[in-house]
Amino acid sequence: MWMESVERKQSIRTVILTTVLLLVVGFGCGRVQAEEVDFLDDAFYEEEADGPAVADPLEPLNRAIFTFNDKAYTYLLKPVATGYSKVLPSDIRGTVWNFFRNLEEPIRFVNCILQGRFEESGWVLSRFVINSVAGVFGLGDPAYREFGIPRIEASLGETLESWGVGDGFYTVIPFFGPSTLRDFSGTVVDALTLSPYYFWVDDYWTMAAIYGTKEINKLSLSLNAYDDLKEVSFDPYVAIRDGYLQVRRKLRDHSEFEVDF
Amino acid sequence: MPDPTRQLQPFIEKMIKVLADASSEDQQRFDLCQRVIDVARERFDFQEMSKRVLGRQWKKLSPEQRLEFEDLFTRLLQHAYIGKVQEYTDQEVVYLKQRIRKQRAEVQTQLVNNGSTIAVSYIMLLKGEQWKVYDVVVEGVSLVRNYKEQFREIVDSKGYAELVVKIRDKVEQIEQAGKGQDQ
Repeated sequence: MWMESVERKQSIRTVILTTVLLLVVGFGCGRVQAEEVDFLDDAFYEEEADGPAVADPLEPLNRAIFTFNDKAYTYLLKPVATGYSKVLPSDIRGTVWNFFRNLEEPIRFVNCILQGRFEESGWVLSRFVINSVAGVFGLGDPAYREFGIPRIEASLGETLESWGVGDGFYTVIPFFGPSTLRDFSGTVVDALTLSPYYFWVDDYWTMAAIYGTKEINKLSLSLNAYDDLKEVSFDPYVAIRDGYLQVRRKLRDHSEFEVDF
Repeated sequence: MPDPTRQLQPFIEKMIKVLADASSEDQQRFDLCQRVIDVARERFDFQEMSKRVLGRQWKKLSPEQRLEFEDLFTRLLQHAYIGKVQEYTDQEVVYLKQRIRKQRAEVQTQLVNNGSTIAVSYIMLLKGEQWKVYDVVVEGVSLVRNYKEQFREIVDSKGYAELVVKIRDKVEQIEQAGKGQDQ
């Protein structure tokens, strides 16, 4: 039984990975934009391209999924996350977030290396060791608090970008939210190959439960942010698309990286 | 050259005080908005913001249209901004660091709530001896850029006149909702 399910799981995994890689190679030959954010540079405000920073040819479909996600958020995820946040105080939820984030450090380590960011890869590894040991399996973040090593971001989406693979196009994934073809493919590969908490379990319901817990916990830490944005925006779809692309640029700008060890 | 953080800090403290006083006196939200606008004008350059948020379209507008847009956009921002700051009136503002390049400056701050922090950067322009804010960046998202993208789509598909109508509706809708809450 066990062997069978492992085999089945692996074959499904292989199919997903192959599909994803084919998609990336097929569509991912778009333009590559420099990921640099400087608010002091007027060019940041003068970008007058005739469309968003990443092409959005599937806009009608994306808008439909966006509406679906919006409803799912309002009627399903938000009530659950609100209940969850009433049961667990925010410091415990912060701890849960730390725990998941710590387990993902090996993914960031590999991606740092693949991007040639060797100095940072060493710090990611140090963070993983310090937080796993001194932070009790990553529940705390002493690497930052005591040793001054900031969180470092690196994903396969960014690795592919540094190798010249273009975004392809903007997509909205059911329940997951905004992404681009390249980045979402990277996310799937990162999760299936390197996330230990998906690797250890062998059935999809457990994987879904772990993913659900992780996401509900994350959502509970930023409840209302989405509603606030929606209230003051004219076209929430465009507001979220631009917000997503702006945040991504910020996360991939490593020029301000500094360790205060 | 004056120090941007030193000019920004008393302004933010004043703003938080206005909001905190208002909540203790149980004032109407509408009056509060007027007071916040008055304080905000000391440090925010709404004309510069309007110019940047409209981009190409700004150059095509008559002086009257510019004033009209500036007024509407100012009211809209007030509501967007009050909502953010009001939740954090009891919380601490940490001034992280500043960068200055020629006549531009960025002051990075952090609003600390129990358990979570929100990164807020103020982008400023030196006018005479005063640093004036023309963009606020919340968690990496520039307010001006975000609105610019939305406005551009509306102007391109429906025209500038429709944009003005939409902003006016939105502001009135938020102001009505605010009044409803007070009663």
